[in-house]
Amino acid sequence: MRKEAKDKHLQAARKIVSQCDRCGTCLPVCPLFDANSVESSGARGKNVIARALTEGGIEPTPEALAKVNFCLLCRACVDTCPSKIATDEAMIHIRQYLVDRTGAVNTRYRAMGGILKSRGMVKLAAGSLALLRKLGLHSVFPHGMVPEEYTRAHFLAAFAGPAALAGKAPPSDAAVTAATRVAYFEGCGMRMMFPEAAAETLTLLKAQTKPLVKDNVCCGLPHLAHGLRDEFLALARKNIELYEDAEVVVSDCASCGGTLKHIASYFADDVQWKDRAATFSRKVMDLTEYLAKAGYRPRQKVDATFTYHDPCHLSRGQGIRKQPRDLLRAAGNFVEMKDADVCCGGAGSFHMDYPDIASKILDKKRANIEKTGAAIVVTGCPGCLIQLAKAAKAGGGRFKAMHISQVI
Amino acid sequence: MMTDDLKKKIRDVVGAENALDADLDRFGYSYDASFVPLFPANKPELVVRPATTEEVSRIMAIAGEHGIPVTPRGAASGRTGGSIPLKGGISMSLERMTKILELDVNNMMVWTEAGVRTIDLYNACAAKGLFYPPDPASWKFSTIGGNVAENAGGMRAVKYGVTSNYVMGLEVVLADGTVLLTGGKAIKNVTGYNLTSLFTGSEGTLGIITKALLRLIPMPKKRGTLQLMFRTLDDGCTTVHQILQAGLLPAAAEIMDRFCLEAVAKHRKTDLDPAIGCCIIVEIDGEDDAALDTQARRMEEVAKRCGVYQFRVAQSQQESDELWAIRRGLSSAIASLVPNRLGEDISVPRDAFPEVVRRIGAIAEKHKLTIAVYGHAGDGNIHPSILCDLSKPGEEERVHRAVEDLFDATLAVGGTLSGEHGIGITKRPYIAKALGESGVKALAAVKQALDPKGILNPGKIW
Repeated sequence: MRKEAKDKHLQAARKIVSQCDRCGTCLPVCPLFDANSVESSGARGKNVIARALTEGGIEPTPEALAKVNFCLLCRACVDTCPSKIATDEAMIHIRQYLVDRTGAVNTRYRAMGGILKSRGMVKLAAGSLALLRKLGLHSVFPHGMVPEEYTRAHFLAAFAGPAALAGKAPPSDAAVTAATRVAYFEGCGMRMMFPEAAAETLTLLKAQTKPLVKDNVCCGLPHLAHGLRDEFLALARKNIELYEDAEVVVSDCASCGGTLKHIASYFADDVQWKDRAATFSRKVMDLTEYLAKAGYRPRQKVDATFTYHDPCHLSRGQGIRKQPRDLLRAAGNFVEMKDADVCCGGAGSFHMDYPDIASKILDKKRANIEKTGAAIVVTGCPGCLIQLAKAAKAGGGRFKAMHISQVI
Repeated sequence: MMTDDLKKKIRDVVGAENALDADLDRFGYSYDASFVPLFPANKPELVVRPATTEEVSRIMAIAGEHGIPVTPRGAASGRTGGSIPLKGGISMSLERMTKILELDVNNMMVWTEAGVRTIDLYNACAAKGLFYPPDPASWKFSTIGGNVAENAGGMRAVKYGVTSNYVMGLEVVLADGTVLLTGGKAIKNVTGYNLTSLFTGSEGTLGIITKALLRLIPMPKKRGTLQLMFRTLDDGCTTVHQILQAGLLPAAAEIMDRFCLEAVAKHRKTDLDPAIGCCIIVEIDGEDDAALDTQARRMEEVAKRCGVYQFRVAQSQQESDELWAIRRGLSSAIASLVPNRLGEDISVPRDAFPEVVRRIGAIAEKHKLTIAVYGHAGDGNIHPSILCDLSKPGEEERVHRAVEDLFDATLAVGGTLSGEHGIGITKRPYIAKALGESGVKALAAVKQALDPKGILNPGKIW
């Protein structure tokens, strides 16, 4: 057993990975193992490395950190595992342990985390990206840092012509009580990368209620995922305070929503914050979850064919699969793609850290989208949308990628 | 010890990205799904991932010349340590050889590379109305090469047999790099020794299986699933025996004891009827619904005579899939309940099944251990799992004595050590007891003839 075995992250990881009996059930569903078939890339390989770290078989080195960083946190393995080993949680604990132990936060994560920590910086970045787009300079940035944005206006111009008259959606019969105080959580990805889609979310909310708009801070997932747990906790506290007067907190980002719903578990041992965090987590809803509850009907039915990509943090992360599909069926034609819930390779900053393997994973996604013949692939996460926008571009315009708020 | 020069020679064959020697990469190839401890890690010196038979052959020529140990590996989902590179050297991982080469519908046979997953082969054949029956619990991730090398069984063995019943021919790379073809598409074939059978189940100790020619049968048109609940394990065992005696042949008959059911219930967060002590899941197949109905009714009659507690026919494909998912995930679900789990794989003549299960119960009591029992009741292959915590003082010793007793009981009723997992590392100490001195000597003679330097998967079987 390792000297620092008392380290709480190491212990937490040990509790998870010691349950793995190495059967291999996770191998065929791990997108990274699928891409390169090397044992340490798969969920089993990483769980065993984590176990070896906790039991003292291998050393806490930068190489070990690199291995556990090479994970999409997509939870495909968790879903299929007979023992439901939470590989993603184990990886987050081990990353934290290794960062604490070796002080080796990847400088890129540190820098990115720094930007996302400050609302001012996020706004500034959003402004710069918008400017770059306006100047047509976005394509010179690598890895989809500045994705092309296909707007609702573009969408309506293309698909809501005379064809839209074919099947007008019935008027919305949403029953939102005036008393429900709904607030919007605008994630960094939506703000920086897809401001037009974020604005559409707000329009949707305004049709139901009088949404509270807050100057929220980052959900903290990028920090949590890369060993900057204290920053995550500080951000979480800020958001908890900020939304205390709201009854429902709506997120249009799968990763933010998933993280916010789980905040409670990170404060379980914190006497001061435990209850507040639990109350906060219970209020969080994904946009589609909220709209389904509110009985929302799309503003129009167009003669366009949609397919849907399940963000990992929405499907496996929050169990939300039906609501977005129902909304899309009401807004146009819907066709299911193969492996809709397999990770697109985006995974936060993964696609920037490992562009080659991320694009290999994305190529499969693109082939599945193209096979449906759909004109638009819809999703509910800016991280996925960056990837899907890249796929759309690589597909030579055969399909467009859009956020769900833009098409319903 | 492999020199840099040797590693370079091998890199030249497979490409640098397919010859891994970073410490953590090697660590990934040091374990399988057995209970062989992770540490000290049995790391290979080099992980080699060839894509063609020619590459395998060139690597074996180098290894043969320099006497480097080579351990072949598929998905490392084996339960006895077969793919663990016990003596270092090369881990020859065949996961890149994933082509189904020829699906010969006329002869109902398929040539496939070793790295093809069993389920992918099954699906490719099913698309043509053909059936590859062997279905080890790991079939979604294990590979054909590993299935053949371990002579894997599965749930359907009671009616359809095991892997070896379907292997018609093999392409094998021998210890010196020679490529050997055995068998062929002729159904009757007595030309020379049956080398196909020799390599099937040889656990990587005689050669590297790179391709397999497998026999297929027509796909059964209809399938159904039955769930039988019993008050006692003994009632369940008796029922299966009586069903077989009545001339009924289920495609699979899987038994689970009370402990297994509790593990499943815990996993699914449901409650278990306290009156239930045993569950049997049966698969039946046939030409049409009427044929299934007849089988189900006759099995129900037998079960009722034997005191079945509940008898239920799955009403939908989904219900059926769920029942089988429970069974396939059972091994891991049980393992996750305790710090250590020693899963055995004994196999006895069908009529000795109820008796050996009774003896297992007595052994558990004698050594004050929990032994969960599940397995393939129809074919006599049982997986008693000793659930323990080896960190407790004295526990390891008791477990070992229980294992000894278990094997003694198995052999006493005419059974054998392993039905489908192989001997590998974990059952090695017991093999002489099962085969006798002359049996082990004969194995050694075959090994000596085919691998005189002893480089292929050293340290396994005996």
